[in-house]
Amino acid sequence: MSEASPNQPKHANHPDQMPEFEERLLLAERKDWEINEAVLQPMFKTGRGFWILVAILGAIVLWGLYAWGYLIYWGMGTSGKNRPVYWALFITTFVFWVGISHAGTMISAVLRLLKADWRRPITRGAEAMTAFALLMAGLYPLIHLGRVWKFYWMIPYPNNRFMWPNFQSPLMWDLVAIFTYLIGSSLYLYLALIPDMAMARDYTDGWRFKLYRVLALGWRGTEAEWHKLHRALGIFSVAIIPIFLSVHSIVSWDFAVTVQPRWHSTIFAPYFVIGAVYSGLSALASILIIVRRSMRLQEFLRSEHFDSLGKLVLVAGMAWVYFWFAGFIVEWYGNEPIVRELIHEEVSGRLAPFFYLQMSANVIPIILLVFKRIRTTPVLLLGTTLLVNVGMFTERALIVIGSLQRNDLPFNWGSYRPTWVEISIVAMTFAGFALLYTLFSRIIPFVPVWEIKEGRLRYTLRRIGRLLVPTAAEME
Amino acid sequence: MDNTNTLIALFHESTDTAEAIDELHTLGIEDEKMVVITGVPYPKGALGRQLEWLTLPYIVLAGAVAGFLFGLFLAVITPHLYRLDIGGHPPVGFPPAAIIIFVFTMMATIVSTFLGVLWEMNFPRFGPAPYHRLVTAGHLAVLLEYPITLDSQVRQVLESHKAHHIGEPERMAL
Repeated sequence: MSEASPNQPKHANHPDQMPEFEERLLLAERKDWEINEAVLQPMFKTGRGFWILVAILGAIVLWGLYAWGYLIYWGMGTSGKNRPVYWALFITTFVFWVGISHAGTMISAVLRLLKADWRRPITRGAEAMTAFALLMAGLYPLIHLGRVWKFYWMIPYPNNRFMWPNFQSPLMWDLVAIFTYLIGSSLYLYLALIPDMAMARDYTDGWRFKLYRVLALGWRGTEAEWHKLHRALGIFSVAIIPIFLSVHSIVSWDFAVTVQPRWHSTIFAPYFVIGAVYSGLSALASILIIVRRSMRLQEFLRSEHFDSLGKLVLVAGMAWVYFWFAGFIVEWYGNEPIVRELIHEEVSGRLAPFFYLQMSANVIPIILLVFKRIRTTPVLLLGTTLLVNVGMFTERALIVIGSLQRNDLPFNWGSYRPTWVEISIVAMTFAGFALLYTLFSRIIPFVPVWEIKEGRLRYTLRRIGRLLVPTAAEME
Repeated sequence: MDNTNTLIALFHESTDTAEAIDELHTLGIEDEKMVVITGVPYPKGALGRQLEWLTLPYIVLAGAVAGFLFGLFLAVITPHLYRLDIGGHPPVGFPPAAIIIFVFTMMATIVSTFLGVLWEMNFPRFGPAPYHRLVTAGHLAVLLEYPITLDSQVRQVLESHKAHHIGEPERMAL
């Protein structure tokens, strides 16, 4: 069968048009093959707009690679890093991407364990976001090394250099923690994908059939296979939560174990984790809204999902404010000279525009998300969640760059201005993330079809008084 | 001479499937001789079948122990082999060692879960296997092996429960 026309398994009659869906998804009287088609059909539509987007993103990535090559050839001096701002835009963006990666696990693993049904259509998008964000984050330690070809020195193996990684260094913890999280989230994404790869295999031919066949690993859907898959996903869900908590804690300890004013704080780990959840959930909402529109997935990604996601963002936002304030009040009350100078710089000095941008971009969304209309109107939610990530990026920049400009040695104070090399490399990772996601959405079923069908098994309508109420059966 | 027959039958409804399986049991066809293939995971016991015992938790446990020991080796043993004194700390400190051991334990847990479930499912398996593509379109397939003497009774049971596409299973390259 043709790739451009996904069909009911290869011989059946079916309408060519994607069915219009009106009802609540989990209760809709739809045939399974209709759901398959509704997910597969948008994957095969790669019109001019798609290719223009791919070309633009690809061009930015190529430009960023050129900038990285320039950095490698001419050295770190081509970046704006200086004494005392040794960690700058690269590390800021690294922390930002690690934060973005947190929503995938939050949505998928935590909500799976809690048996929250609204997670079903959005888990794959969230898991893919985690994997791609970590790939982007993982580039920064390499870029930041400067001499990237020496990377393998960080791998512990007996060597004739008589050198060994220092496991007391938070940078080594970073390496292993991020690598673990990347492996875990990629395997988690793939494991839940196997049944849908088999479904796609049954609906396609040509190169797609070959690809899906390999990725399906021979899946048929026997009872034993489902049982084992469920068990494995359950174990994954439990195991990946402490990893997700540890990764951003370890990233925070990169900062907190130093004696740098404003970094040396015991609250940094939970503060980083909650900030990561806040920015990650917001990024997920933004991405889902864009993909929903571009792939016409309105049937699957519905207002009830955005409502629930918006509530999660709201709760994470309030928790972020609490942790921020808990850290700030202690520093303000302590009134240590350098910390006082840093607070002054932020509140009324050179960094004030960034500080007020950060605060407003992080706090205004919390007020907005109280309203259901904001949470359930895609364009409003998109604007709100994008604002959160502007705020969170600025917050990371203030923590990393802002704090480093002042230290205990006033003769060693400085300032920082990024160069075109850094800006190009940062743009490369944003474009690279968008490019990976764009390609992913056209190759892999964006909505986990089997999970949606499983959810539909649980639902029925029950009459309570004058109402017909959706009711979920307890099946696990 | 082979005196067994192999058959595949498709169903629209899980209830029909479960009832057909029950009647096939009463004909003396054992659970091991039947395979139910579905596009959706049905809850445990919904189709009246026993679920097999899994070794996966033990594989995961073994993986976690191996990861713990490897982390312990890296964090506690190797610093003595390549001694590096920094910041007045001893070569092996509890907090850094705890982090390294934790991360390697979790990494091994995750990897062993993935490899363990593939091993349990005997994946990858690309050879021909009995299958029907209508399974992903929502049908439930029952694949069964039975003594040839029961052929007419088996077909009668299947037909009485609205099975369709009853016939010899096609072995497809998956």
